[in-house]
Amino acid sequence: MLTDLNIFAIAGAKARHAAARQGVIAQNVANADTPGYRARDLEPFEKTLQRIGSANTTVSPRIVEVHSLGAGSPNGNTVSIEDEMMRAGAAVRDHEIATTIYAKALTMMRTALGGRR
Amino acid sequence: MNPFSAISAVVSSGLKAQSYRLQLVSENLANADTHGYRRKLVSFDKARDAASGADVVKVSRVMLDPAKGEEIFDPSHPLANENGYVVMSNVNMLTEIADAREATRSYEAGLQIFRQAREMYAGLIDILRR
Repeated sequence: MLTDLNIFAIAGAKARHAAARQGVIAQNVANADTPGYRARDLEPFEKTLQRIGSANTTVSPRIVEVHSLGAGSPNGNTVSIEDEMMRAGAAVRDHEIATTIYAKALTMMRTALGGRR
Repeated sequence: MNPFSAISAVVSSGLKAQSYRLQLVSENLANADTHGYRRKLVSFDKARDAASGADVVKVSRVMLDPAKGEEIFDPSHPLANENGYVVMSNVNMLTEIADAREATRSYEAGLQIFRQAREMYAGLIDILRR
């Protein structure tokens, strides 16, 4: 493990992805009543990883349009607040997982180096 | 740019727009009995925030509802026309309340997003503290 610090890169990339996703969701929620606004989301982190390979984790993920069932309104807006809240919850969870993994890996390294936990 | 400051910019634009909308609703409701008053309508538009490159929301323009107010026969009223009719406001309480509900809901959703972003940021700072 100590010879391969990839875990930090991947955990960091996952945290960045979750934060960027929360940013996209914030734009959707702010524009929840804007006529003609189409709801967007980031592609899942797994997909970004597959596309670019784990070696390069600084590439930004693609933005995709989401189609929530029955969310279209007559003014062309496709944001569903309920859906956005679900997605925001998922983003927070993903971020927490990523930061926890990062912190745990840090603790493991400290243990291996003989420091205090 | 730091995604969390972008989130603050986006959310605050949303909160501003929704509270402006609530302000217009309360103006309409306050003038529900004002003769000849036409209710104000607001339309939102998305705008590109130069600093973060994110899509924020802005108030595009405020319009007056062109619908005609109800005419009531009251010849003794000082504002009555030559046929004895007075034009009331075109405010519909039910529409205004529905509008206010929608604005409140969007406002709360924005606040929730901000709280979550703050939580995420706190998680990052926790790593620094170790």
